[in-house]
Amino acid sequence: MKKLLILGMLALAGLALAQPKVFKGTEPGRAGGAYRITAISDPRTWNPFVARETSSTDIISLFLPTLTGYSPYTQAPEGNLAKSWEVRNNGLTVIFRLREGARWSDGQAIDADDVIFSATVHADQRVNSNARSSFILDGQPIRWTKVDQYTVRADFPKPYAPALIQGWYIAPEHIFGPAYRAGVQQLQALWNLDTPPAQVVSGGPFKLDSYVKGERVVLVRNPNYWGVDDRNNPVAYLERYTVQVVPDLNAQLARFLAGEADTFAAANADQVAQVLERIRGNRLRAEIFPNADVTLGTNFIVFNWNHKDPFKESLFRQVKFRRAMAHLMDKKSMIEVALGGLGQPQWSPISIPNKAFFTDDVVKYEFSPQKAAQLLAELGFRSKNRDGWLVNAQGKVLEFNLVTNQGNNVRERIAQIFRDEARKIGVKVEYRPIDFNELVRQLTSPAADGTRDFDAILIGLTGGIEPAFSRNVWELNGPLHMWNLGIGGKNPAKVEAFEVLIDTLMKRGATTLDQAQRRQIYVQFQKVVAENLPIIYTVAPAYNPARLTRLGGMFPKEQINSITGQAPYIETVFAKE
Amino acid sequence: MFAYVVRRLLQLIPTFFGATLLAFLVIQLAPGDFVTRLELDPTQTRESIANLRQQLGLDQPLPVQYAKWLSGILQGYLGLSLSYKTDVWNVIGQRILNSMVLVVLATLMIYLIAIPIGVYSAIRKYTWPDRTFTVLAFLGLAIPNFFFGLIMLFLAVWLNDLTNMRILPIGGMTTEFIHLGNLTRAAQILFPFALLGTLVFAGLFWQRSRRGQAATFGIWVGLVLFGMSTLLMLAPLIQGPGLPERLPYTESPLWARATNVLWHAFPVVIVVGTSGLAGLMRVMRGQMLDVLSQDYIRTARAKGLNERVVIYKHALRNAVIPFIAGIGGLLPGLIGGAGLVEVTMAWPGITPALLEAISAIDIYVIMGLITITTVLLMIGNVVSDLLLAWVDPRIRYS
Repeated sequence: MKKLLILGMLALAGLALAQPKVFKGTEPGRAGGAYRITAISDPRTWNPFVARETSSTDIISLFLPTLTGYSPYTQAPEGNLAKSWEVRNNGLTVIFRLREGARWSDGQAIDADDVIFSATVHADQRVNSNARSSFILDGQPIRWTKVDQYTVRADFPKPYAPALIQGWYIAPEHIFGPAYRAGVQQLQALWNLDTPPAQVVSGGPFKLDSYVKGERVVLVRNPNYWGVDDRNNPVAYLERYTVQVVPDLNAQLARFLAGEADTFAAANADQVAQVLERIRGNRLRAEIFPNADVTLGTNFIVFNWNHKDPFKESLFRQVKFRRAMAHLMDKKSMIEVALGGLGQPQWSPISIPNKAFFTDDVVKYEFSPQKAAQLLAELGFRSKNRDGWLVNAQGKVLEFNLVTNQGNNVRERIAQIFRDEARKIGVKVEYRPIDFNELVRQLTSPAADGTRDFDAILIGLTGGIEPAFSRNVWELNGPLHMWNLGIGGKNPAKVEAFEVLIDTLMKRGATTLDQAQRRQIYVQFQKVVAENLPIIYTVAPAYNPARLTRLGGMFPKEQINSITGQAPYIETVFAKE
Repeated sequence: MFAYVVRRLLQLIPTFFGATLLAFLVIQLAPGDFVTRLELDPTQTRESIANLRQQLGLDQPLPVQYAKWLSGILQGYLGLSLSYKTDVWNVIGQRILNSMVLVVLATLMIYLIAIPIGVYSAIRKYTWPDRTFTVLAFLGLAIPNFFFGLIMLFLAVWLNDLTNMRILPIGGMTTEFIHLGNLTRAAQILFPFALLGTLVFAGLFWQRSRRGQAATFGIWVGLVLFGMSTLLMLAPLIQGPGLPERLPYTESPLWARATNVLWHAFPVVIVVGTSGLAGLMRVMRGQMLDVLSQDYIRTARAKGLNERVVIYKHALRNAVIPFIAGIGGLLPGLIGGAGLVEVTMAWPGITPALLEAISAIDIYVIMGLITITTVLLMIGNVVSDLLLAWVDPRIRYS
C-alpha cells in the first residue's frame, strides 16, 4: 500500500513537472495495436537538415518535433513543442515557451538549446536545408535567441503572418552539435539510412525500430513522448507504425484489398469501384469516401508573356484572349475523362480544401465556345482561312503550341480536351507532351534578352495551406512569376496594373497578423487572379480516402480533408481489435 | 589459349572507358539535372537552388565531373548518391542481391522445365501435347511481364479470399512478422502440389518406359519437388524450442527468413520465368529437330542404338550448345534484374531503384548500375566464349 502511494505521488510529481500537449481525438482510444500504410518510395535519409522529399519527411515528422503547426480541426496555428507564445513589438517579436519536462527518447531534455541549435543549422547557407526559406524574410534574416532554458525568442525584420507556423524539425543538439562544429559535411553524414535505427533519437510520438531497404520502415511508440489524450493517458496509442514500400499504385491497391494496409487513397474511379465491390461483397471490412475532398495540387495553363514573337506576346497579354481561353475549358469533360468523374473545377489560386482562405465568390468564365469566339472576334479574329483556322485582318492565324509533362496522364488528357475544344472554334492548338525537366527549363530560364521559348504550358504546383508561402509565384520579382518572368529575380520589363495589385496584396497578406483581415486580403487576391487569369486553372483531382474499419480515432466523413487526411492526429489513432 | 584469354582481357579496358563515357554523356544529354525539379517548388529561392548545385558539383564542366567519377571508380568507389547522400554501393548493393534471388531462381526454373519440354516436343512433334506446349509458349511470350505481374497479384488476392488463408503473398519480398507456427500450414498447402507433380512425372515415366523412351529428368524434377515440400513440412520441427509463434522479420532465424523470401519469390519467379521459358522451349525444340535430322543420328539409329542413347547422348549434347554459350549473358542479366515485374510486385530489386534514380536524375546511381552491368557483360562474354570452346570441339582459339 505504501509502495502504491509513493508510486502515485511520483506519478503526480511527474505530471506536475511535464507540461504535456493534450491531443483531442475523435473518440476515446486504447493503447496497443499496429498501423500499416504503404509508401510509393523509400525514405532517403533520417537527417532533417538533408531531407527534401516527402518520402523522408513523412517519416521524420513521426520522430522529430516542430515548434508549432496547424490545428487539424480549425487550421489555425497550434502549439507542438511550444506550449504557448506571445506576440510583442507590433508583431516583430514572438516569444515561444516550450513544454518543460519534454524529453528525447534517450532521456535528455528537449529545451531551448535544441531549438536554437536547429534554427541555426537550418538557416546556415552551407547546410542548405530545405527549411532555409523559413529563416529569411525578403533577404533579411529572422533572428532566433535563447531567453532561458524553456523560452526562445524570434525577431522578425517586419511583421510576418506565418510567424506562428514554425514547421521546421527540431533535432537533438547533443547529437548533431558536435558534428556541426566539426564541419557541415559531418553534420550531413549523420543519420543516413545506414545508421542503426537505435541511434536515431526521437522527440516525437514514435521512434525508429527497424528499416529494411526497399521493404519497410518500422517505428514503435516513443515512451518518452510529451503528449497525452484528454483523459490524461499517454499517447500515441499505437504500439507500431509500419510503412511498407510499394512502388506501384495497383500493387498498393492490392495490398489494401487484401487487408494488409490500413489506409489507401484511391487515385481514380476505377480504384474506388474495386474497393467498393469488395466491401459490398463482404470480403473487406473497410470504408471508402469517394470525392470526400479535393487534393491541394493544381493544374493550370500559363501563357508566355515574354515571347520572342511580338504578335504572340501582345496576344497573350490581352485579358480578352485569356478569358476566351478560359471559356474553352470544358471542365465537366475534364473531370469525366481525365479524372474519371471524381474531382472539382477550380477557378482561383487558393486550393479548395484551404477553408481558412478559399472563396467560391470569384468570376467564373464557364465553358462557352460562343463567348470565346465572340471575345476573339473583338480581338480581330473574325474570319476563318481555307483550312478553317481563325485569322485576323492581316491574315495571321490564331495558333499556339501547348506542352505538358510527359507521363502525367491527367494533364495529358486535360490538354487534349482543351485542344479539341479550341480547334472546334478555329483556334489552332498544337499539343505535345515533353520531358518534365525540359518543361521546367522553358518555364524558368529566360534568355539574356528576357524572352522565353514556349507559347503555353499546362503544369501544376503542389498547393500549400499558407498562401504567404507562394509569394515566389505571385510577387513581381518571384522566380516563379511564370507568366511574366523577370531575369535573375528582377521585376519583369513590362508589367500590367493587376500584377502590381497582386504583388501589393501578397506583401500585405504576408505582413498582416489579424486573421480576419488576412482572409479579406486573400479573398481579394483570388478575385483579381480569377478576373485577369495570369494563370488559367483547370480541375482539381479528388481525394478518395479509404480505411479499414479496425481503425479508431479517425475523422467522420464530413471532417475528412486532404490537408490533414483521415485522422486529426496520428497520436489518437488506435486499433479497435 | 592463354594468350587468347590475356588478349581478350586487355581488350576490355578501352571498351570499359568507351562504354562508361558514352553512358555518362547520354545521361547528361537529358535536359535538367538533379536540382531541376526543385525549381518548381514555390518555397525555394534562386540562391538556395544555386547553392545546392554547387554543393553537389553539378555546376562543374562535364569533363571534370566525368574525370572525378572515373578516378573514384578506379579506386573502387562508385560515387555519392545525390538523393541518398551516401555511397552508391550502399544504395544498390542490397538491391542487386535481391534481384539475383529472382533471376537465379527464374533461370533454374527455365532451364529445368524448358529443356525437357523442348526435347519432348521435338521428339513428338505435331502431336497434341506438342501443340499445347506451342500455344502456351506463344501465350507466355505475348503477355507483357508487368501485366502478368498484376494479374498474379489479383490472382493471389482472389486465391487467399477463396481459401481464407494466406496462400500467396501480395507483393513484397518479406513479411513484417514471420508466423513460425504457420509453416506447417504452408507445407500442407504445398504438399498436394508436390504430390500432383510427382504423379504427373511418374505417369510420364511409366508411359515412356513402356515405349522404351527415357524420362529420367522428369522423375528427378518430381522427386525434388516432393523432397522440398517434405522438408518444408519438417521445418517447424527444426525450429528451436524457445521460439515464439511470431517474430519480426529482422529477428527471425535464418531458415525462417530464407523460406519467407522464397515464398514471396514464388509468384514473381513464375511471372519472370514464363516469357523466358516460352522462348527457350521453342529454341530447344528447333535445335533438337535440327540435330535429329542430321546424318549421324540416322547412322546411330541405323546401327540399332537404343533410342534413349540416340536422343540423350548424341542429339541433346549437340543441341544444347547454344544454351551453354548463353550462360555468359546470364551474368549481366543477374544484375539487370527482372524488370518492371519488380515494380508491380513490389520486389525491392534493381529496376525500381534504377527508375527512381532516372526520374530523380541521380547520376551516380545510374552510372553505378551501368558500370557494374557493363563489367559483368564483358566478363560474361569472355566466359561464354571460353565455355563454347570447351564444349564445341569445332571451335579452337589459338
